[in-house]
Amino acid sequence: MPLSQDPQWYKDALIYQVHVRSFQDSSGDGIGDFRGLAQKLDYVQELGVDTLWLMPFFPSPLRDDGYDIADYRSVHPNYGTLDDFKGFLEAAHARGIRVIIEMVLNHTSDQHAWFQQSRSSRDNPRRDWYVWSDKDTKYQGTRIIFLDTELSNWAWDPVSKQYYWHRFFSHQPDLNYDNPEVREEMWEVMRFWLRMGVDGFRLDAVPYLIEREGTNCENLPETHAVIKDYRARLDREFPGKMFLAEANQWPEDLGPYFSSGDEFHMAFNFPLMPRMFMGLKLEDRKPITEILQRTPQIPEICQWCLFLRNHDELTLEMVTDMERDYMYDEYARDRSMRLNLGIRRRLAPLLDNDRRRIELMNGMLMSLPGTPIAYYGDEIGMGDNVNLGDRNGVRTPMQWDGGWNGGFSTADPEKLYSPLMLNPVYGYQAVNVSSQKRFEHSLLSWMKRILKVRKSSPVFGRGSIEFLYPANHRVLAYVRSWGKEAILVVNNLSSSAQAVELDLRGYKGNILIEMFGRNIFPRVGDLPYLLTMGPYQFYWFRLRKL
Amino acid sequence: MAEESILTDDFLHELMNVGEVDVLVGLPTYNDAASIGQIVQAIRAGLVKYFPRQRAVIINADGGSHDMTQELVRAASITDLQHTPNPHALRTLHSISVRYGGGPSTGRGLYAILAAADLLHSSACAVISADSTNIEPEWIAHLLQPVCQDGFDLVTPAYHRHKFDGLLVRNLVYPMIRALYAKQIREPYPSEFALSGRLATHLFGQDGWATVAEQDGAKLYLTISAIAGSFKLAQALLGSKTRAQNSPPADVVDALREGVGPLFFSLDQQPAWRSSMPSEPVPILGGRPEVTLEPLRINRKRLYDLFRSGVSELEPLLSSIVSQATLQQLEELASRAEQEFCYPDELWVKTVYEFAASYHRAVLNRDHIIQALAPLYRGRAYTFLVENRDSQSEEVEKNVEALCLTFEKFKPYLGELWDGRK
Amino acid sequence: MWDKFVVELSQAWQELIRGVAQFLPRLLVTLIIVVIGGLAAWVIEVIVRSILRLVKFDRFSDDSGASQFLRRTALPSSTELLSRFVFWVSWIGFILVGVNVLGIVGLEPHISKLFAYLPRLVAAVCLIFFGLLAASFFSRAALLAAVNAGSPSPKLISSAVRILITVLSVSMAFEELGLAEQTVLIAFGLIFGALLFGLALAFGLGGQELAKRFLEARFLRETPREHEDELSPL
Repeated sequence: MPLSQDPQWYKDALIYQVHVRSFQDSSGDGIGDFRGLAQKLDYVQELGVDTLWLMPFFPSPLRDDGYDIADYRSVHPNYGTLDDFKGFLEAAHARGIRVIIEMVLNHTSDQHAWFQQSRSSRDNPRRDWYVWSDKDTKYQGTRIIFLDTELSNWAWDPVSKQYYWHRFFSHQPDLNYDNPEVREEMWEVMRFWLRMGVDGFRLDAVPYLIEREGTNCENLPETHAVIKDYRARLDREFPGKMFLAEANQWPEDLGPYFSSGDEFHMAFNFPLMPRMFMGLKLEDRKPITEILQRTPQIPEICQWCLFLRNHDELTLEMVTDMERDYMYDEYARDRSMRLNLGIRRRLAPLLDNDRRRIELMNGMLMSLPGTPIAYYGDEIGMGDNVNLGDRNGVRTPMQWDGGWNGGFSTADPEKLYSPLMLNPVYGYQAVNVSSQKRFEHSLLSWMKRILKVRKSSPVFGRGSIEFLYPANHRVLAYVRSWGKEAILVVNNLSSSAQAVELDLRGYKGNILIEMFGRNIFPRVGDLPYLLTMGPYQFYWFRLRKL
Repeated sequence: MAEESILTDDFLHELMNVGEVDVLVGLPTYNDAASIGQIVQAIRAGLVKYFPRQRAVIINADGGSHDMTQELVRAASITDLQHTPNPHALRTLHSISVRYGGGPSTGRGLYAILAAADLLHSSACAVISADSTNIEPEWIAHLLQPVCQDGFDLVTPAYHRHKFDGLLVRNLVYPMIRALYAKQIREPYPSEFALSGRLATHLFGQDGWATVAEQDGAKLYLTISAIAGSFKLAQALLGSKTRAQNSPPADVVDALREGVGPLFFSLDQQPAWRSSMPSEPVPILGGRPEVTLEPLRINRKRLYDLFRSGVSELEPLLSSIVSQATLQQLEELASRAEQEFCYPDELWVKTVYEFAASYHRAVLNRDHIIQALAPLYRGRAYTFLVENRDSQSEEVEKNVEALCLTFEKFKPYLGELWDGRK
Repeated sequence: MWDKFVVELSQAWQELIRGVAQFLPRLLVTLIIVVIGGLAAWVIEVIVRSILRLVKFDRFSDDSGASQFLRRTALPSSTELLSRFVFWVSWIGFILVGVNVLGIVGLEPHISKLFAYLPRLVAAVCLIFFGLLAASFFSRAALLAAVNAGSPSPKLISSAVRILITVLSVSMAFEELGLAEQTVLIAFGLIFGALLFGLALAFGLGGQELAKRFLEARFLRETPREHEDELSPL
């Protein structure tokens, strides 16, 4: 199946986030690899997604699950070889599936050759590739991101007797983007992968590239200039490829990352995600509508990326203290679930394994403006294991069947890179692809259906959004429109049945056609349109004027 | 019947959209545009600060204002409709404003609010007066937290009041309710109060509630019902009591109609007072109410004059209401010079009880009986003013306490009058 | 000639006896009607009394102050009064029917008139009764209002109200009865007018202060009422 040639393919994409290590082990060493991943491409294709986002697979001491990169131009031997990667890439493209990979621009592992050289002496040619200082008082007031483990953004290097700057773990020194050599080298790195056929990069931790005294060292104009430069080169040499920004910022601060369409193609809508969970618990649409009201308009060629969960904790950085306390009390009563101003849980456990809530959240994910990303395992309702430390609880092996190691690996269970989920509710014997494939009403089957419906209309990916504000605040309703097409989405955020009257006067005369069953609902007249909804129910209606 | 006409269809429609709530604040109004804005702001601030996670609604039950009162209330919602995000509030806070059926009346407004509380299954409901311009957000906490957290069913307010403020309550209503219903509630018909969902449901279960709503004295009825139903009571110290600037000082006759008429009426409706019990204090939360002492301009002589003229002109009426002995004593009092005038506790208590009994037997038109009490009350007020002219707060409290004990002591006398044995 | 006299006399005597013989049965019937009427009226009285007791008519008249009034005028209670009134009206009705049976020529049109008069009589009595009731109620209300407002001579005001209403209702009753209509009309007009004029003078001259304060309170809300205290009794 050929890849679509639309330069704005990312607006219609359905992205599936996968960790190579967690997906499928073909070599029997207990760790997933590219050959295994390639074996499972049929599953990915059947699921209905058309883009894969791979988490870092570069050589790395793996002290931050691969985000501490030691070599940008290779593949970690655990996951195979560069040829294995190429083979996988080809197979994916053959099925019409694009591949986005991580590009950690901001920092490297302290095991990277560049840092080894940089720290070896103050005169080393690569000294200036990192940010060094005699004192640790520079850039005062810059916030610490990994609050639970780090006390400062400076770390003392005993080798060269200076401090080096790191916004993340102390073993991840920040690269110095004020150095043109660094900028060039990183472009060459990207070029290396683009030439191989990769379709885009998720640029990790972009707000922190540049530091300046007297600022909070985030979102600086100089940082944007760096990205703009890369984008210009990308457009020139590799049209149709895509940059996706990981910038965990308030809505007002995200606009600059799109600039006027000459910076990032896509960015994650971080502020929206916790508010979807909040709205669900409060049974009130206010958090969701308000954050989207604050979200800036973006250039027409740009796109938001929406997600419910990912490999990191459910971040509560971009919420008020009151909201954070509420989220903690409602979703992470057990303190061990809390990490770094976030909650380290998967989707199904967060929603108490309530099928209706899982469906509703996915329904919102697929119908709010943006490109949706599903995290591997959430389509079958996998659970989490907070006892694994850091964020590893949400990165357990994919559960394929109820047999040996859940079908993930033929190795001894003790050799697996991470223990499998074993409890009766989320364990691999209860929750796995094979058993869910058998039943039409499993979560997996439902996910396939909703992805299919989503794909059936470009309105979801490309359309505008107009909120309806019915008096019943437990109902979130909006109309997505694109050209002549319009889709009405109505979500009941409440655990009880609700009646809602919608003001659809602007769509008078339209017939509503429910998109899953394709049944006709009454025509819109002069009176408010009354809908009655079961607990956590949602509707997608195509509006047709006949 | 009354129920259908008080809750209009519009009202029900708005309630549907609000849905179940945890906390409800009711605001009965009629042409209160001048004060309503700041009151709603204070309520809103209180709800957002002290009940941020609870589902809350402000319900304005309006009697048909034509001065934009309702529009002002609606403008105070915290919803997503204003398109200006409010990050200080977790939830939508509805402010709905609806007219209740029938003409403007305290009883109907209260009925509508309690009906809403019942329909929305709110566990706590507060009612705030549109006159309380000195309201602070903390009042919401003081009134509602005891209901929400400590399981109280009725929380009436306690205020710092001037020693001469609220004379009718101090000299008649408070001591009489205390003596008859055995609970020491300082504000028996409170401007603002809070009640639990349990109590609201109980009130609706009573047959008489719909009729009471149509008359004066719904608040008093509510208080007495709570006492008679053995609900858990508390008083919350709110601060000073003020009234809206432009509302005129209450006329004595109106005050008697509003306060004493329903009290006498309640004696029939709630015969629980027939059993004798010593009165119990009701806990006051949040501090002790103080009696303030600043000098105040009062026309005492007028009270004295009105008492005298009242006793002499109304003699034929009074002879049907009070006993011969009492009438003689009153006439003797009226004949005294101002400096020697003193309406003693015992005589006052007997007067009140005899009036109550006459009201019960309706020896005259009941409204006329109440009106006939006015000059006598003035005489009593005069005496209170004179006795406490130079008193400090402890002494004022002591005098009021002594009066209360006299009321309690003569309770059997009321019983005898009631049964016609005297 | 003597024979003729005797014959005429005996003829006349026989006619008289015939007349009496004709009259006596009718008289008997009349008396029977009267007796039965009395019984019927008594039954009606009992029924009316029971009905009035059932609807608690006494209570109603208590509330409106009628009982007070009746007690003062040494009349029995409202129920009793009304029942007895009904009794007398019914019995008089029967008596009139009986009298009609007697067939006394020239009496019939008068009896018809009397019958036609009865409803008006009842109306007039009602007018006076309710008029006195209203007079009592309103005069008391006026007295209380005047006393509580501190106006001078409340008794005068009260009496004035009572007299006004009484005069009004008595005049209406007389008009209803059709007695001396013109006289009553003129007299009523004169008395009413004089009273009102008197009151106007009294109020106007004596009640200037009160009227002024009343108007001020009504129309000029900014001016505080000086005679009432700053305090609230509540």
